[in-house]
Amino acid sequence: MMLDSVLLEILRNKVTSVTEEMGITLQRTGRTLYVKETADFGTALADLNGKFFAWPLDIGVSGFVDLDCGPTISAVGELSAGDVIITNHPYASGGLCTHTPDLNLVRPYFYEDHIVSYGWTFVHSADVGGKVPSSVSPTNSEAYQEGLLIPPMKIVRKGNFNEDLITLYRHNVRTPDLNIGDIKAMLAALDVGQTRITEIIEQYGLDVFLATQEALINYAAAKARTAFRQIPDGAYEFWDYLDDDAFTQIPVRVRLRMEVNDGLIHLDYTGSDPQTMGPFNVVTMGRSHPWVTLRLLSYVISQDPTCPVNSGVFRNVTVDLPHGSVLNPEFPAASGIRMAAGVRSYDAVNGALSKALPDFMPAAPGGNSIPVVLVEPLNGGQQSVTVVQFLVGGLGARKGHDGVDGRDPSFSNMANNPIETIEAEASVLVLDYGVRADSGGPGEWRGGAGQKIKFKVLLDGCQLLARGLERLRFPPWGAAGGRSSTVTRFILNEGLVSERDLGKIDMVSLDAGDTVTAYLSGAGGYGDPFSRDPASVRKDVILGFVTASGAEKDYGVVIKVGEVDESATETLRAGRTSPRPVDFDYGEEREAWESVFDDERMVALNRALVGHAPAQRQRIRKTIFGSIDERLLVPATEKRHDFRDLIGDGDEIAVSFDQLLSAIPDAAT
Amino acid sequence: MRVLANDSARLGIDVGGTFTDFVLADPRSNQLITHKEPSTPDDPSLAVEQGLACLLDQSALSPENIGLVVHGTTLGLNTILQQRGVETALIVSRGNKDLLELGRCRMPSPYNFLAPRSEPLVSRDRVLEISARNTVDGAVIDEPSTREFDDLAEAIRLTNVTSVAVTLINSYVDPTLELAVAAEIAKRLPDVHVTPSTRVWPEIREYERAMLAVMNAYIHPLLDSYYRRLEERLRGLGLKADLYITASNGGTLSIQSARERPVDTLLSGPASGVVAACALSSNVGHDDLVAIDMGGTSCDMSVTRGNQPMLTTSAKLGDFPIISPVIDVSAIGAGGGSIVWLDSENILKVGPGSAGADPGPVAYGRGGDQPTVTDCFVATGLIGPQSFLGGRMTLDRSGAMGALAVLGAGLSFHDADCAEQVADSALRVTTAMMAAQLYKELAQRGVDPRGRYLIAFGGAGPTMAVPLAEEAKLGGVLIPLSPGTLCAFGAIQSRVRRDFVRSVRHILDSSDSIVEEIEKKLTAMESEALEWVSKEGDGLSQPIITRRADMRYAGQAYNLEVGLPDFAGERASAAIAESFHLAHSLAYGFPDRESTVEVINLRVSVVRNLPEFETPGIERATGDAVATGSREIFLNGATCSASVYERSTLRAGHQIVGPTIIEQPDTTVWIPDHWTGYVRDCGTLQLDRVILG
Repeated sequence: MMLDSVLLEILRNKVTSVTEEMGITLQRTGRTLYVKETADFGTALADLNGKFFAWPLDIGVSGFVDLDCGPTISAVGELSAGDVIITNHPYASGGLCTHTPDLNLVRPYFYEDHIVSYGWTFVHSADVGGKVPSSVSPTNSEAYQEGLLIPPMKIVRKGNFNEDLITLYRHNVRTPDLNIGDIKAMLAALDVGQTRITEIIEQYGLDVFLATQEALINYAAAKARTAFRQIPDGAYEFWDYLDDDAFTQIPVRVRLRMEVNDGLIHLDYTGSDPQTMGPFNVVTMGRSHPWVTLRLLSYVISQDPTCPVNSGVFRNVTVDLPHGSVLNPEFPAASGIRMAAGVRSYDAVNGALSKALPDFMPAAPGGNSIPVVLVEPLNGGQQSVTVVQFLVGGLGARKGHDGVDGRDPSFSNMANNPIETIEAEASVLVLDYGVRADSGGPGEWRGGAGQKIKFKVLLDGCQLLARGLERLRFPPWGAAGGRSSTVTRFILNEGLVSERDLGKIDMVSLDAGDTVTAYLSGAGGYGDPFSRDPASVRKDVILGFVTASGAEKDYGVVIKVGEVDESATETLRAGRTSPRPVDFDYGEEREAWESVFDDERMVALNRALVGHAPAQRQRIRKTIFGSIDERLLVPATEKRHDFRDLIGDGDEIAVSFDQLLSAIPDAAT
Repeated sequence: MRVLANDSARLGIDVGGTFTDFVLADPRSNQLITHKEPSTPDDPSLAVEQGLACLLDQSALSPENIGLVVHGTTLGLNTILQQRGVETALIVSRGNKDLLELGRCRMPSPYNFLAPRSEPLVSRDRVLEISARNTVDGAVIDEPSTREFDDLAEAIRLTNVTSVAVTLINSYVDPTLELAVAAEIAKRLPDVHVTPSTRVWPEIREYERAMLAVMNAYIHPLLDSYYRRLEERLRGLGLKADLYITASNGGTLSIQSARERPVDTLLSGPASGVVAACALSSNVGHDDLVAIDMGGTSCDMSVTRGNQPMLTTSAKLGDFPIISPVIDVSAIGAGGGSIVWLDSENILKVGPGSAGADPGPVAYGRGGDQPTVTDCFVATGLIGPQSFLGGRMTLDRSGAMGALAVLGAGLSFHDADCAEQVADSALRVTTAMMAAQLYKELAQRGVDPRGRYLIAFGGAGPTMAVPLAEEAKLGGVLIPLSPGTLCAFGAIQSRVRRDFVRSVRHILDSSDSIVEEIEKKLTAMESEALEWVSKEGDGLSQPIITRRADMRYAGQAYNLEVGLPDFAGERASAAIAESFHLAHSLAYGFPDRESTVEVINLRVSVVRNLPEFETPGIERATGDAVATGSREIFLNGATCSASVYERSTLRAGHQIVGPTIIEQPDTTVWIPDHWTGYVRDCGTLQLDRVILG
């Protein structure tokens, strides 16, 4: 049946509020740290194909709209009323679980004898077993190390809890009570969905409810198509890098070719690097997936805030995610820190859109969403785990607007932790927490500044975790002549003799008196900073977002006693000698790297590896880069070599790379 | 202070953005006089003076007969929303300069990168750091020298601010250092107002605590002078009564307390409406209500429980948090001025854009050309063009119809009645939107809508009430006698009240020392409360103290506020924990007795009642109600003929059967088919579904 537009709007309100009520229930009763501190949970309603037609407004994670419950549903076979499916298996769930700690539940909603839709919910559990507490570590290389793998199966059968499964689960995780508490909270949320859906069907009829699902998806698809038609037809190429794969210094590249044709988008990631040894892989199974499409959703909503948030937006999107790549790894590649590659894919889409719509899109955001976690010893060998702070950069500048400082809702619009709460819960003293001066990318419009935090540990025997840390080497890029921002740094005991750059953090041991200082990269600037209105630069200096020396160096503006020195500024700006990138500024280390390892060479390398088994590809690459310079094989968790020093003039390296490339054996041999 | 007699007259005044409302209750003559005076935003006390003179003329009372004046105002609220407060500085501990810049780090939308965040009330260069800080145990680990105080005072002087707030890290544990810093500033800068955060609300969470202090500092000089002027004008008219100000928590404060801490009065307007709803509902035997106040630009909903307004400690003013307990009011859906439009896919939308009061709906004929909810009321016949505002303003029905008809083609309405069709559709969308949001808000509060009555006020509330009650499965509807001046009426019903908080962090184990510690803190809070309330006026009842605590299972993100049992005796700790298990079970369906219970905040409230006072009622009916006419109403795709009554002709005991329209100067009541109305003794109209069969 066709729904009239009035009924559609009425039911859109209703089904959205069902997902919100589910989310509220989960939020209030969930137990794990991640519900509380990082809003890392979700609730939604899926249609009979397993695609979401209703999504809550601002409760839980915002980014997972493009997940697909379909493969999970078909994996379990026939479903009865009162069944609930559970899974945390990234591969067996067809990419529904984006890493093992995300416990996903799917419940068929019945009306009379028929399935009429599905309720979905997930929670990031505190721990699902595996090699390390919290299950995720940058040094994991196989899914088996990332905890108990639960393929799609029934945790509730016709209303009866599967006690065997729960017992098995309980014995395989480090925090069984919290986890079981979370499962109860998720089941309660799913109950709310069934109740409300029954009410809606009784008021409007089953036909209307079924038609609503399709109509809402069509509605979002049509609106998104209109927004996508704002993008000129054509192909736009853009790439961005993970700093490294944790095991070496070698960057991991996400390469995108975005093809736009009359509002239809094709994201072709051919040429992206092979799956990584470390857990930075996004398990997509080759299908459209939130970690590669999220920026398209934010683009659509920015163009048209009235577009419903549901899977219809992605009906206009096709993807090509090469098998064995970091965006479509083969089992059992680890995926615990899939966010790192997901965030770079987000930036790549942002960059491709910037090429198409330079006046609309912002420069790169800060590019980090990092929970800084402190593990403290308790009496009796137990540990307490606290999120000291959730750190982000800022938002990218865009034409006519500076980026927002110290906030970045790109991946999760979550609240930070008050200093007083941190100090009440963890053995730390927060000495400094705020916005990092001079960290926003300079531009006619300044990129948002990143955050900084400095805290002192008050107890011996603590450990610090900061998973997924990026932008230590390659800064968020500037656009339209705007400059890149400063890079991220984590420093132990800054200003003391024991000062040490922590680089990429796996796990750092800390004792009482140690301090940790984190400086997050800001976001990219937009437009030539030497064209920025000196009055705006002055204001930034007065407010403290830019220092006086930063104003001179980055903007060519001289501030004396709080005022713009106009003649000095004019002289300084006129005498500018530094190169002025006309479009994107990627920072010096990326320029150094790409002076040898350019697009052509790296595409050729990945093409030469295609015939080899996915797990082999990284090994061959490692051999090649190791032969060029052994320093490239130093684990990034130990030390970071600056590419400007390492590459030098690059000629010699280029020659040896080309020789090694031509010597790659065929897979058959 | 004067002793207030039971039978002396009481005056309620509510200053809103458009109108200043008055309610004068005189028990001796059993009279309730209301009056609306256009507000005078440049000096709001002027409208108070003018309106009061007018009101006194209408009554037989002289100024000396008025024993009590209770006043509510949105001045503080609007000052913050429009960011028009005084220049303010904030003093923080070293390392905490970005307290306001970061706030809690959230953005208005996770997707929309064009949506801006709101600007902080104090710019970053006016947030000044000082070497002063406590640890979580209360120890002082950083203390400023005299020299640093001098430098700070000089820095403040250079910013030219008139007001200063002070928030130090962990001052909630021990306010001594923060108060000392405030005192040193005040000593050096006698002309500057200083608000230390712990004097306002000493709860853990530095940003939220700081925002209460900042908002207090930001409005203090303005409200102080406003209250002073108001008092002068009232004295000038010959009033001798004590003056009270309504507070955000639904209570009232003496004018002295309000002047000292104006941040407590931010939500004084909306709070009074809910207080009035409670007062009226107790007269008709409904203690648990949903209240809606639907005006021109928005609709506020709130909930009463046990005849008391529900409070919240997570309110927001725009983007700014209020963590002291305030009436839990949420915006839902639309107001009368919300714009009806079609999006690019021809989906019918209502709001969020609003025509507001100016130019207002098309039917106002003031240049508005976009159809609004009010235009839909006019087009469907719910509002009569001749009877709006008691006939003082004639509405342009054909203009409204024309604007609505423009949308007809996009919705495939092509017949002659296409304007009515569009209006009918838009009202259905509005109803569904409001009901969906109402459901969500009730879920947040753990309230089941079924069977509850809806009390509706504001200009548009009584028109939307029954359709909303139907859609949200509420039990019935109550319409007060004067829905347009309800906040002023609520003002004279409220009680003196203030809330106190201490953040603690106690694990409830079996040891007595924890309970002793809790008892010690509560006793100190009670002394403070009694000391405060003893100065709030004479003629008030004995103080009533309530003790509550925020508790949670270790690891949970949300606290539950629970009434504390008497804990004398041995198993006190277990008794406190048990009260939490029960509350958790009631709220979420299960207790978790295996888990550790934490006490997070201790709360004490003190209340003193005003002398008892009976609300004047209305006369008993002697015959049936008489309709003044009838008109055609187009709703749900069909036309029906509705009788029209005037509210002023209705008497207690009158019964009315839908479909019916009841007109009164401040609103129009819609009673559809299968609903009946009954006039209660107090004048409140009770609407119920007809039970068939």
